[in-house]
Amino acid sequence: MSEPIVRYNNVTKYFDDLQVLDGIDFEIQPGEKVALIGPSGSGKTTFARLLMTLEEITDGTIEVEGDYLWHEQDDNGDLKPASTDHLRKVRSNIGMVFQHFHLFPHMTVLENVMEAPVTVQGRDKKEAKKSAEDMLDKVGLLDKADTYPAQLSGGQKQRVAIARALVMDPKVLIFDEPTSALDPELVGEVLDVIKDIADQGDTSILLITHEMDFAKEVADRIAFFDGGKIIEDGPPSEILYNPQAPRLKEFLERFMNTQSSPE
Amino acid sequence: MWDWNYAFEVLPDIASALWVTISATLVGFVLALVVGLIWTLLIRSNNKIISNVADGIVKFIRNTPLLVQLYFIFYVFPQFGLSLEPFTAGVIGLGLHYSTYLSEVYRSGIESVGPGQWEVATALNFDTRKTWTRIILPQAIPPVLPVIGNYFITMFKETPLLSAITLVEILQTAQNIGASTFRYTEPLTIVGVLFLLLSYPASVALRQLEIRVTERY
Amino acid sequence: MSFWELIVSLLGQGLVITLLTTVLAAILALVLGFIGGLMRLSKNKFIRFIVAIYVEVFRGTSLLVQLFWIYFVLPMFGLRMSALTAAVLAIGLNYGAYTSEVVRSGIQSVDEGQTEASIALNFTRVQRMRRIIIPQAFIMMLPNLGNQLIELFKSTSLVALITLTDLTYQANVLNATTLQTTQIFTALLVIYFVIAWPMTKGMKMLERKMTEGRM
Ligand SMILES: Nc1ncnc2c1ncn2[C@@H]1O[C@H](COP(=O)(O)OP(=O)(O)O)[C@@H](O)[C@H]1O
Ligand SMILES: [Mg+2]
Repeated sequence: MSEPIVRYNNVTKYFDDLQVLDGIDFEIQPGEKVALIGPSGSGKTTFARLLMTLEEITDGTIEVEGDYLWHEQDDNGDLKPASTDHLRKVRSNIGMVFQHFHLFPHMTVLENVMEAPVTVQGRDKKEAKKSAEDMLDKVGLLDKADTYPAQLSGGQKQRVAIARALVMDPKVLIFDEPTSALDPELVGEVLDVIKDIADQGDTSILLITHEMDFAKEVADRIAFFDGGKIIEDGPPSEILYNPQAPRLKEFLERFMNTQSSPE
Repeated sequence: MWDWNYAFEVLPDIASALWVTISATLVGFVLALVVGLIWTLLIRSNNKIISNVADGIVKFIRNTPLLVQLYFIFYVFPQFGLSLEPFTAGVIGLGLHYSTYLSEVYRSGIESVGPGQWEVATALNFDTRKTWTRIILPQAIPPVLPVIGNYFITMFKETPLLSAITLVEILQTAQNIGASTFRYTEPLTIVGVLFLLLSYPASVALRQLEIRVTERY
Repeated sequence: MSFWELIVSLLGQGLVITLLTTVLAAILALVLGFIGGLMRLSKNKFIRFIVAIYVEVFRGTSLLVQLFWIYFVLPMFGLRMSALTAAVLAIGLNYGAYTSEVVRSGIQSVDEGQTEASIALNFTRVQRMRRIIIPQAFIMMLPNLGNQLIELFKSTSLVALITLTDLTYQANVLNATTLQTTQIFTALLVIYFVIAWPMTKGMKMLERKMTEGRM
């Protein structure tokens, strides 16, 4: 097996006195697509946000391509909190797509996608524009390049957000419930785009979702979260059709029931 | 540079002028509260002429400086046989000027009362007067109380302008002392400190009120 | 003099000073407001404290008192300055204090998600502020900034009291020499209104233009 691209070592997270993650060990391989499932409040979002450096780690370490994310090694090899520069360097491997899109409302669609390549990566404007347009084409929104996000549907917004994250060429792309803020009829177009990325890219994907069918379709592996721990972790067929942990069985049953309720 | 003895010597004179400042604020504020409400009601009038004229006057007062309005009241009114004491002219100017701001505050308060309340009042057969006094205003005013309080503090801080029409309030008192002793440092600093000592606690209290109000509404 | 001659005479002698004071003080207030507003959001307690003192002192005392203090007291400490400098300084410092609160609350009103998206795209703090947060905050600040500009413009009439030769000062001079009191002060009110009113309208238009289709 090759070196994992992401490795969580005994990661713990507290919000004040509330323990949200409880000593998690976890790996993502290069190009691997991992889906996280589990009841709401079980810590999935927090788990992902630690990797995106949106929440601070309480204990343990996270490695990205062998570099510590939240820490730096000093001359004696001891770990100390990472400097801003170090954090930014390691973070550049990670991208994220949010549940509520968070597009920049004051910029056109094209500007949204161009902004980070130009400002953050210092890429040439013309060249950045070209790749932004390519990316918009890929998500099927090139014709919307000059509109503002306020004029887009939820599904279109999320596709722009995906293009915006992809254009930075991250090695790991996080999706946190990318379709749960969307009207049902708009879910499909976003899932199609994610499926495309999963199929053609060597980008690793960490997908938090409640869409079990979709998870089965794109994921190489599914991890089940409960109470701040990963209870079960394995190939989709195993997790979904041969669950071992009682909590996972319960979760899937409840899930199937709500899913199969008449439309 | 700074002479404590001198400061303590002039302090009582300046402090005693404080009541002129405070009573000008209070009278001006009451005037602003009442006249502001009148503007609001006139602007809401069904009579287009009344409503437009009131709106025009309010806009004119709002878009011209208080100082010039004070000059106008103090120097122009006498041309028409209406000579006013500095205090009277001052509070009229102050009250009139801020009535236009309060009118705006009332308007936003009234607009925040949903249309359903008017319909209920009609359904319960309230007359216009009762609808206003029993239903609309009791709901419109409390949420805007912090803003109204803020204007009280603002008006308090504007009273030094009244010195320009020869009212001897605290700034004018300090100026007079300064002119006679050629020392402005202590008197003017004392005036500043007095304003700060009075307005700062008031605005802190208002922020508390604002927090309470936003929690309730 | 006829009413029109009075207006022309007032404008000829005082308009430039009134507008110059307005523009310079507004620039100073905007700069101070942005610096103060950003410092108010600093993680450093001491920096926040310093700005809080500045804001409370200048909001808590009166503009006219500040104007007199700067013009009459500072020279005692060796800081002698022209009436124009004192006027710009006093008005700029005073409105800067209010503006810093507008800036602070404008920045705080930008959705937290914008910060998160910027972090996810690896912006530095400065890039995030400049490219993402401030442009959005600015649009939200516009109505307040517009109101403040009108208030600031009106407040420039106070500079007449430290003998700066603005419109109001010239009106007083004219009043003393011609005794056409009614016409002079009416003319003065009209002049202020004719400048302030389009300013109000202009700010509203700018607001609309900047939000059109975007928000
Ligand atoms: N910023 C925060 N402050 C305090 N508690 C939080 C915060 N974010 C999340 N939590 C808590 O952490 C727990 C896990 O939340 P989350 O990671 O969002 O779970 P999930 O994504 O699986 O629904 C929940 O109990 C939630 O209330
Ligand atoms: Mg979540």
